[in-house]
Amino acid sequence: MGLISKLIEFVRFTLLALRLQFTTLPPRDILVTQTVDAGWGSLGLLTMLTIFAGLNLSVQSYGSFERFGGQDLLGMFAGIGGVRELYPVMAAVVCGARIGANLAASLANMKISEQIEALEVMAIDPMRHLVAPRLWAVTLSLPLLCGYADVIGLGASYVGAVWQLGLDGGSFITQVKEQVQLSDLLTGMFKGLVMGWLIAVISCFHGYTVAKRDGAEGVGIATNLAIVHGAVMCIVVNLLLSWMIYG
Amino acid sequence: MNPQAQPAGPPAVELGPPAVELVDVSKSFGTNKVLDRVSLTVDRGSIMVMLGPSGTGKSVLLRCLVGLLKPDSGKVLVFGEDVAALDEGRRRDRDKLFAIRRRFGMLFQDGALFDDMSVFDNVAFPMRLHTKLSEEQIREKVSDRLTRVGVAHSERKFPSELSGGMRKRVAFARAIAIDPDIVLCDEPSSGLDPVMSATLDELILELHRTLGMTFIIISHDTAEARKVADTIGMLANGRLVTYGKAEQVFADNHPALAQFFTRATQGPIKVV
Amino acid sequence: MTRLLRFLETIGALFVFAGGVARATFTAPHYWAETLRLINVLVLRCIIPVSLAVAPVGAVISLQGIMIFKLFGAERMLSSFLGTAIFREYSPALASVMVAAQAGSSIAARIGTMKVRGQIDALAVMSVDPVRYVVVPGVIACVFVAPLLSILTNLLGVFSGWVFAVPIGGIDHGAFMENLTAQITPADLWIGLGKCAVFGLGVGLIAGYLGLNVGRGAADVGKAANDTVVSTIVLILLVDYAVSMVLLGAGL
Repeated sequence: MGLISKLIEFVRFTLLALRLQFTTLPPRDILVTQTVDAGWGSLGLLTMLTIFAGLNLSVQSYGSFERFGGQDLLGMFAGIGGVRELYPVMAAVVCGARIGANLAASLANMKISEQIEALEVMAIDPMRHLVAPRLWAVTLSLPLLCGYADVIGLGASYVGAVWQLGLDGGSFITQVKEQVQLSDLLTGMFKGLVMGWLIAVISCFHGYTVAKRDGAEGVGIATNLAIVHGAVMCIVVNLLLSWMIYG
Repeated sequence: MNPQAQPAGPPAVELGPPAVELVDVSKSFGTNKVLDRVSLTVDRGSIMVMLGPSGTGKSVLLRCLVGLLKPDSGKVLVFGEDVAALDEGRRRDRDKLFAIRRRFGMLFQDGALFDDMSVFDNVAFPMRLHTKLSEEQIREKVSDRLTRVGVAHSERKFPSELSGGMRKRVAFARAIAIDPDIVLCDEPSSGLDPVMSATLDELILELHRTLGMTFIIISHDTAEARKVADTIGMLANGRLVTYGKAEQVFADNHPALAQFFTRATQGPIKVV
Repeated sequence: MTRLLRFLETIGALFVFAGGVARATFTAPHYWAETLRLINVLVLRCIIPVSLAVAPVGAVISLQGIMIFKLFGAERMLSSFLGTAIFREYSPALASVMVAAQAGSSIAARIGTMKVRGQIDALAVMSVDPVRYVVVPGVIACVFVAPLLSILTNLLGVFSGWVFAVPIGGIDHGAFMENLTAQITPADLWIGLGKCAVFGLGVGLIAGYLGLNVGRGAADVGKAANDTVVSTIVLILLVDYAVSMVLLGAGL
């Protein structure tokens, strides 16, 4: 069956990628360009989205809490819920969509235009040359992006609570300080590490295994699969990690 | 059917096993047998053109030579070493395979240039990875290659900025970048107008004359075959229906060949 | 500066495009068969990703929420918060985001491929308006499918929240259900559906626009899909925030 064989192929790819990632250090210049592209390139988008997410978290939670008189809990909830869950997942899903789509599209394009075969004929291992640096770049960037999102998001929800809703800033900050710990930030970053690696592997897999004869359509399909699988995987893995860590 | 082609100029023919030898090579994709017990020999320093209808085993054959594909059965000997017997999973075999690949240069159908590099970097790429030349030497050599193919002025451009013909010529420069022994060409004239493809043919002859490399060209351009080939072969329905020195093959005029050259719709070659 | 200008230009072009699509939608001829086929395909393709995306959210809200509410002895209030959060916020937003990711990118990729391969021109030559045949069905399908799926995600999100609250978290089932239904109003449901319809409209329009305006090569198809997903997600989150502010102000 098609699905089973695809899954087997994916597992093989993942194992190969893991082995490569830890036995070779990719060429430095490629690694740097990839990392900058993944991390720095996502920064503007992430900042804007996280600010709005933080504001929204305050505003929307307030509406819910108000109904049963719990609006004073806002600082704590925004802090914990945001830093532990919302901001890392959002960073992973959004940046993952952008980064993953880029990876899948560029690898798929290289596959259908025979650039990957050209590398092989020139006695270069495309997995080592193309895939490994990309894996490293994303695995390094995403934790940083998640940590960044945590900080920005928290700040934004503070602004939302105080300026938009008129709550007491001091009480907000006290609650955050009491309940949100450094370990929460680090957990967020750890989640970013795991999700980042998975996004990279999934996207590279879809891009690399596109069928040459599919042409332009293949690139579109690979991109689509990378985005969707990446997003779903982030959300599911986040639940699993949260359950293990906090459950 | 063993052509003894002698190149016209330097270097002299080396002694040793032929450049390429296929022994009873077969390959199927599902029920479609694209190569059916194909056997042939390509002498060092010769230009071999393999003709045949589209979608037959020509591309597959080329890829078997460099180990991109593995035949179901038979031997693929490159300078005496059986490429088909190498297992890419084993470290020693992989090293052997890579060593063999370094003796090849390949011109892909649409060039397969790396989009994210300039023309210069594309041609310099194999030099930087496989040779110990200094940047200065690389610069000289890249310039030389690009000049030979006639695109010297486009060093800084990127592949997306080039026309199809220029892309092919740059890809050619890249294929001969590290002085390969064998150059493989996958339908070099496809997508080119007659003048452009004639220019490319001249290029092949020129390079062959001055550098003496072996050429294996797959094509369905009959004019090209007439112009450049020492040795001609034809694949139809997976079988090698004719093969040998050009004059001999034309004299034999196998029906499939005749149909191909006269562009006749009736004959042994059926439109699938 | 030029980037800003170019961005504004794109927005303007998008509005013009939207106008054309609107006109094509409300005038004959229509390609209903194509629209129905697309709705069918989208529902089938989106149902799993959407479900997999929303179910964990309910679970996570319960997981973290229990801890917070326990501190104040208000665990029974968890379901109330869960219900409102899912119905009003996370279910419509996530359903729309996943529709954007799946449907948006596949529609943009499909249209983009057709453009690159010359099939769009072929349609025009056969006097079939490409916008009518390719874009309008996509827009209608997204507007329809997003709210439809959000109903599913409403249920799924609450269910997985229940799983992590009652069997796993030990909260009393009766109290959970009582507080859950007590706080959800019909307005919540309609607002959620409305949001999804609007988001679906955005996804369909942007996917159609970027697909038709794709560049020349295969790489541009991937770029169109990527840009569709990224810009629709941004749009969804921005609009979502604006709507939340407005509703809060209106006392809803």
